Amino acid sequence: MAKAVVWKQVLGYIVAVIVIAAATAVLQVFGGHINPTTVALAFLLIVLFVAAAWGSKPAVLAALAGGISFNIFFLPPVGTLHISEPEDWIAFLSFLVTGITAGQLSARARRRAEEANSARRETENLYRELQDTFEQASQAKAIKQSERLKSALLDAVTHDLRTPLTSIKASVTTLLDDRRARLSAEETTHLDEAERTEMLEVIDEESDRLDRFISGMMELARIDAGEMQLRRDWGSIEEIVTEALARAQPLTKNHAVEVKIESDLPSVRVDGRAVSEVVYSLVDNAAKYSPSGTRICISAQRSGDEVIQMSVEDQGKGIGVELRDRVFDKFFRATRDGDVSTGRVSGNGMGLAIAKGIVEAHDGTIGIESGTGGNGTRVIFTLPIGDDDAVPVLKTA
Amino acid sequence: MEHRPRILVVDDEPQLTRVLRTGLSSHGYEVRIAADGIAALETFGDWHPDLVVTDLAMPEMDGLELCRRLREISSVPILVLSARGEEKTKVAALDLGADDYVTKPFGIEELLARVRVGLRRARTDAATERLETVVEAGALRADLESRTVTVREREVRLTPKEFDLLIHFMRHAGKVLTHRSLLAAVWGGDYVEQNEYLRVFVGQLRKKIETDPAAPRFIVTEPWVGYRFNAEEG
Repeated sequence: MAKAVVWKQVLGYIVAVIVIAAATAVLQVFGGHINPTTVALAFLLIVLFVAAAWGSKPAVLAALAGGISFNIFFLPPVGTLHISEPEDWIAFLSFLVTGITAGQLSARARRRAEEANSARRETENLYRELQDTFEQASQAKAIKQSERLKSALLDAVTHDLRTPLTSIKASVTTLLDDRRARLSAEETTHLDEAERTEMLEVIDEESDRLDRFISGMMELARIDAGEMQLRRDWGSIEEIVTEALARAQPLTKNHAVEVKIESDLPSVRVDGRAVSEVVYSLVDNAAKYSPSGTRICISAQRSGDEVIQMSVEDQGKGIGVELRDRVFDKFFRATRDGDVSTGRVSGNGMGLAIAKGIVEAHDGTIGIESGTGGNGTRVIFTLPIGDDDAVPVLKTA
Repeated sequence: MEHRPRILVVDDEPQLTRVLRTGLSSHGYEVRIAADGIAALETFGDWHPDLVVTDLAMPEMDGLELCRRLREISSVPILVLSARGEEKTKVAALDLGADDYVTKPFGIEELLARVRVGLRRARTDAATERLETVVEAGALRADLESRTVTVREREVRLTPKEFDLLIHFMRHAGKVLTHRSLLAAVWGGDYVEQNEYLRVFVGQLRKKIETDPAAPRFIVTEPWVGYRFNAEEG
């Protein structure tokens, strides 16, 4: 570094002398015709140039060299260092003082510019560092948020696995306890046949519940990974709804189910099994979150030329506007995480997330609004009618 | 006919309540079910159960609020069903007056054992209130008037605070006592954060009353929660 600076200065001195010499030679060509003021101004220009490029010391050398050249070649008597006329003395001294001062000023300006430059660079560096720090901080925040989300998901999954497991464990140990009491002929009340059967039924049903939960998780993982395979085929909405309602019958036996399907609906090219799953899921939710004896209405009609709009409506408590997007999140349960409660069992928080995945895989949309007269919940989803050219296997994101 | 102890089971999970009803009834308990805190309070008022088993996470009114409301009107033993990972809620429930907890998933024997402890404690409490000059718990006997304590008929010397702490333990034998509730009861409300007081005094008490203070049988540590006094020495 230091070496480079020294070399630069030496170069400045050499250039100062050479340029003054060259200028002297050029000005000499004009011989005695040239005005000493012009020469002085030309040399002054060189001094300024050297000052701007190499700083004050080379500029002083340029001023001194220029002064000597001015004296020898352009002030009478020419060819000597001697100055005869007092006004020429004034011209010579004026040139020297002006040259040195201008050189100094110009060099100072250069230094200032350099300082300003380095200050700017420093500011830029600081800004970049700040930006990096901010980026790192926001990354850390994002990581923290995703960690929090993960732990919330884990909590939800743990809860959903443990609840059936608790019933299973309690049933099994009740049966074991009973068996032990019988074998040791203890005087406690034994379970009767109906009670033993009930315990076994609980184990059976809760094992199914665990299995459903695991299947749901797999389905969600497939949707998340964009690997949902749609088997599209032409079919009628009515068939899809009928199939879903038949399956949901055990869940809806305490509700009045009403079906309103527009009479001349065209066939749709969808994955019938998947759409039926959507309807089943929505009806299941409607039954779970609305009181016994109330009405559940399933409707389907055309919405424009290319789209069918379907809805499932219940007469439950409804879902607050602020929760209407969140209920489609994985594992979100309004009964537990929101403020909606019915005093009934809640689902596993996957039904609506899967329904959304299926509807979106069909290029449809799904959303929630209040039911008729502002009461209850209406889930609305759309399905494009589809055509034969549609890609048979659709991938979702 | 002999009075069958009444147990009120509060849980919003119908499958689990089916099992608990059967499991508890087969052991001679009369059982009623409530799906949430509000229903539980209603049943409690009409039916006067001898013990309440409650879940913590429930719609309408959760287990914590139920504990608080029950404690306002009754000293009925409350047994909390909690899941691993609900430690904070569990401690809060104990602070609000719950007596004990069972961690899910649990075997029916464990629940039955806790139920028996709870019912026994309730009986001891009733008995203690009648004769207030002497408190007895297993091999320990404390005379409240002379402030003397004997362990297996051998007298031990306790400082006044040690004596108060031991009496509190003995009066709540079988019950899980949180750090906060012990500090509040023995040192007063300003000291509920001073866990180190409790550690020191429990350590001293153990040296004086336990046969092997390193493996205590009277004052048992409940990790992260507090202590439990066992009258039967383990």
